[in-house]
This record gives sequence, structure tokens and C-alpha cells, in this order.
Amino acid sequence: MSTTPVSSAKPGASQARSKTAGRQETIWTVALAALLVVLLAYFYLAVPDFRSLGTSGVLALCEQFLFTGLIALGEAVVVLAGEIDLSTGAMSSLSGILMASLWQQGLNIWLATVLALFAAALGGALNGFLVTRFNVSSLLVTLGTQFIFGSVATAVGGNTPPYNFPRSFVTLVGTGTVGPVPDQLLVFAVVAVAAWLLVARTRYGRSLVLIGYNRAASRYSGIDVRRSLLWAFVASGLLAGMAGIFVSGYYNAARDDIGDSLLLPAITVVVLGGVDIFGGRGRMSGVILATFLLGFLTQGLLIRGDSSLTATMVTGVVLVLCLVLKVALDHRAWAQLRELLRHRVSGMGELRAGRGA
Amino acid sequence: MTALSAPSAPSAPLRAGETGSGAKRSGPVLLGMLRRRELQLVLAILALGALSSALHPSFLASGNVSFILADSVSTMVVAVGQTIVVLGRGIDLSVSPVLGIAAIGVGFPAQDHNLSIFLALLIVLVIGMALGAGNGFLVAVVGIPPIIATLATLTIYGGLQFIFTGGQEVVNIPNAYGNLGNANMLPGVPWLIVVGAAVVAVVWFWLRRTVTGRSIYAVGNNADAAFRAGAPVRRILFLTYVVSGLLAGLGGLIYLCHVGSADATTGSDTNVNLMSIAAALIGGTTLLGGRGGPVGSALGAVFLSEALQAMIASRVPPIWEPAGVGALIVIAVITDRGATPARLLARRPFREPSHGPQ
Repeated sequence: MSTTPVSSAKPGASQARSKTAGRQETIWTVALAALLVVLLAYFYLAVPDFRSLGTSGVLALCEQFLFTGLIALGEAVVVLAGEIDLSTGAMSSLSGILMASLWQQGLNIWLATVLALFAAALGGALNGFLVTRFNVSSLLVTLGTQFIFGSVATAVGGNTPPYNFPRSFVTLVGTGTVGPVPDQLLVFAVVAVAAWLLVARTRYGRSLVLIGYNRAASRYSGIDVRRSLLWAFVASGLLAGMAGIFVSGYYNAARDDIGDSLLLPAITVVVLGGVDIFGGRGRMSGVILATFLLGFLTQGLLIRGDSSLTATMVTGVVLVLCLVLKVALDHRAWAQLRELLRHRVSGMGELRAGRGA
Repeated sequence: MTALSAPSAPSAPLRAGETGSGAKRSGPVLLGMLRRRELQLVLAILALGALSSALHPSFLASGNVSFILADSVSTMVVAVGQTIVVLGRGIDLSVSPVLGIAAIGVGFPAQDHNLSIFLALLIVLVIGMALGAGNGFLVAVVGIPPIIATLATLTIYGGLQFIFTGGQEVVNIPNAYGNLGNANMLPGVPWLIVVGAAVVAVVWFWLRRTVTGRSIYAVGNNADAAFRAGAPVRRILFLTYVVSGLLAGLGGLIYLCHVGSADATTGSDTNVNLMSIAAALIGGTTLLGGRGGPVGSALGAVFLSEALQAMIASRVPPIWEPAGVGALIVIAVITDRGATPARLLARRPFREPSHGPQ
């Protein structure tokens, strides 16, 4: 929240917001990082199987959850703008299937990948178009398109979706490594930094956050709300498509069934990352940290011998707990207490209206 | 409270500039009625039936008609519960595992110990209310946004359902269950239709004619105003989730009786979440809260069931079924002018206004 170039229209309100909200976001991000360290330390010390993996083994675990992280990055862009995209999971399935089918038709696999990503972006644009053109809830539109994308994926994929892709493809987006570092992690790092820069350091990103925070104010400050939202959905579709490519590479097979199981963890990552589900508040760095936190938690539990079912339930419990915590932090009583303390300490008599939404 | 309970109001409290125009407008009564989603749906159901039977004469055979109706009852009951939550401006994404847990919760005792159906009814209602109370606690007491709270309980309850089944499935239910699920009360009138109609009637009466029911509309319309008018907002929100869970549990028993089997994926494999929300939306209930009702949702469930049957009759491959439902949702949302305010998602948890700056 350090740079808010678009806040010039309502400087007072925006600065009050960016100070209190920004501090809270910093606390949340630092807490996530600390929790990640604690979690890794716990698994390293308490779970022998985890320790025996070694550095490269632990890094290789990332391949199990980075596609979730990609979806979460795109989802976060949409959620920051005050909307939601429930179709991302299905879009992952669809893009993987499209890529594989085009490749099976004899197309070069990288060309097929580019075309599939383009289709994913188009699908996102469809969502954005429906939401902005008809001015209806993204929750409903993407609930509908989720099932349309899923059906198309199943129909295109047929009974046995293509598998056994060329080696170069499987290496780069699947299971290859550079030293101990998985290629997927490197690709993810590039995308994550790009997404972070987009949201935190560009005019467009800041305007998206303002749209999520106060749509009317952003409209009055000259932002083209509809076009910004449309592009947010395009970004979400594109990143979901990229996740589908990752999945295909990792399993060396296109999967039309994996979408549903990716949506919930992705939304959990976004919320755990500190992004307000109503938009306008949150950081990409939190989302990136949450990707690893939730990913290592799940993988660590699996390695410890818990069933995948337990791991999924833990995901749900973590989601509830972090929200309870957030609500507690959010509570006006705390805000008032802090205000009071700051008032006493600094002697600044500036009255702030809490962080009322 | 008196303002909320005024039973003379013919329809739900309406949003400004919405269907309320029927009262102001001096146009023909018939045209005003055509604006009602319930009537539109009846016409759509008849039109689709006529079209399908013109193309496929077997579509209108009496067996098929009552099958369509009976097949929709499980969805209908869950959709009515979903409607109650949505009227209060919430959403319940956990109905599918609640339905599944209820179905297996009575399915195993019924299969192994011949559990009496009345006891089974009692058990599913208790299971549903307990799980619904979990959602209600998270939303109304803790204050977590409904979509996230129920998304989380969706995984938690889904996990519980897996654990309860322990890899087993219910395949053999006593005759009493099967009869309720598939036999006719009168010739051409399946028992299930009677059950479904009774549930809709009771809920309709509760929502339209009791103080609590009216308060749900008021809370959904404007929680702050309802609070200032004296409605116990948190308690009412809590109640909506309990009732939604209760009806999802009842839907589980109906599903068990109708289909005759249940396992770890019951509820999720038939997309009960999607179907219940779709039925409510098609029936004219908006996610904005405060507008809609159980009759529309019931008709929406019948329409969905009919549309899926029509797809089958037209030899559309079953994999396109979800796409059909998805398309119907999108169409229902786009054509509903009442649902247009931009930020439907803005369903912040209710907080007593006295606690904070306004």
C-alpha cells in the first residue's frame, strides 16, 4: 500500500485507509512468513520422512501445489477488484485438454500451448464481458461458466484424454529441474513477481485495488471500471490456463477432472494470503506466501502419513481458523484500542474513523 | 416489529424500482402478472413440454411427466432451503455434503438394521440442523462471509461424509423407503410430489405469514434497517442456515428413497450445490437477498428437471448436462433485471451498527 497513485481524488480518505489497512496487511504478511518457517521447522524436526527428502526433495514437493498457486494469483487479481471467479478450476482443465488435443492433431506442442493459453484468456474475457456488459454478479456468471467450461473440457477430451507428451515439454513445465530447483518453481517465480509488480507497482494494479475498495470513488477518479474488470478476468483466465498446462506437464497427461479439486484450495490461498474477499485490501506477497504455506502443510501431512482426505479437511479448518483470526483482528474493539493507544503515545489528536467499510 | 409482520403485504418487500412497479403501473393486470417469475416459469415449463413432446412424442407419456416431477423433489427441497438462506442475503455452498451425510447417516442403519422410516426422518432432520447450525455459527456468530464459511464447511463436511462411509456404500434399502421414493399415492401422483408440495407450502406459509419469516426478507433487504426496526438479525441469520441444513437433510432422505443408494460422493456427484442455487435463481430469487420465494424455487427445480429430461430425449450426451445447467444460470441471471446492481458479492457479514462508526 506504499504507492497509491490513483488516490489523488480522495487523498484524505485514501491515506487514512492506506495507513491502517497497510499496517494490518504488513502484520498479516509477516505472520504468514513466520508461520511458514515454523511449519517447515516442525516437519523437518518431527517427521523423519520429511527430513530424509533433503533440500531437492522438499523443493520438488512444490510441483504438487504450484498450479494451485498460479490459479490463486489470478483469482487474487479478480478478488482484489471486488469480484470472484469460480470458473478458474474448470478453465485449468479446459486449457490442458485443449493444449493436448491440439498437439494430438499434429500441432507443435509449444504452439498448442500458446493457443490453449489464448483460449483461456478468451474464456476469462467471456466471464468479464458477461459481468461488465450485463452488470451482473461475477459469482453467478462464473458459477455458470464453470460448468460450461468443464463440460467442454470433458467433451473435447473424450474418454482417454491425450498423454505422453514430448520430453522437452514435460521437462520444462512438468518435472524438470535446474540443480535442485524445479523448473516449475522458476516459472512460478517469474509469474509471481510479474503479478506482484502488476498489482503493487503499476497504475492499472492500483486502480484495480481501488475499484475493489470503492467502486464509485474509482469511477469518479476517472478509471474505466468496466475495462479494468474485463482485463482482471482475462488475467485470471490466463493464469488458470497456465496452471492447466502445469498440471498436464506434471502428470504427463491432460486431465479433465482436476479442475474442481483446484478451485477450493486456490480460494483458500487467496483468503489465507490476507486478501479481503470483498476486494480492495490485500497483497500479492501474502498470496505467494500462502501458496507455500498451504502447499507445504498439505504435503507435510501427506508425508506424515495422513490421508489426502485429512489434508483436505485441514485445508477447510485452516480457512475457518484464519478467518476467525482475521475477524478478531478486524474487530472494531481492537481498532479502537489501538487508536486509543496511539492517541496516548503520540499525542496526535487526529480522530480516525476506524476502518469502517 | 409490526412493520415487519404486516401480513397484508401481497409479496416480498421489493427493491426500489423493481417489480413493485406492478402496483404503480396502471397497465392491464394480466401484463403485470406476466412480470412475475413464477408465472413466466409455468409458461416456460409448459412451452418446453410442448416443444419436447412435439419432437419426441414419448416425452409426454404420463409416466415421464410424473418421473420429471418426482425426480425434481430432492433438488426442490434443498433449493427451498437454499432460497431461505439467499433471502437473508447469504449463500449455502455446503448443502451437498449435508445431503450426503444425511443419506448415508440413515442409509446404513436402514440397510443393516431395518431402521423405521419415522426414526430415519427424525435422524436426518437432526443431522441437517446440527450441520446447518455449524454454518450458522460461523456466519452469524463469528461473522465470516457466508461464501467463505460455507466453502470451508463444504470441505469439512465432505471429509466427514468420507469418514462416515468408511469406503462402504448403501445399495439395499428397505421396501418402506423404496415405496415412499417411487410409488404413487394416487394413480399418477407419486408420494414424493406430495412431500415436495407440503414442504413448499409450509415454508411459504412460514416466510409470508409469520413474524420470523417476514423478518428474513427484511434482514435480506437491509440488515441495518431490520436491526433498527428491532429484528434480532443474528438470530434470524443463524436460523436461516439451520433451516437450510434441515431441508438439505430431508433432501438426503428423499434422495435415498428415490435413488435407493448412497455413498461417499452422494450429493457432490449430482452437483446439489449448483442445482439448488440454479433452481433458486431460475425461480426469481436474487442473491441480493430479500426478493424471491419458495414457490419460484420449486418451479425452478421442476424446470431444471424437465430441461435435463428434454436434453436426454434429444440425445444430447450426458456430459453436456452441467453445461446446460450452467447456461440456464447465466441466462436466468442476465434476464433478471432485479439482479443488476453491480456488487452482488458485497455481502459483508452483518455487524450491529451501534458498534462502529457509520
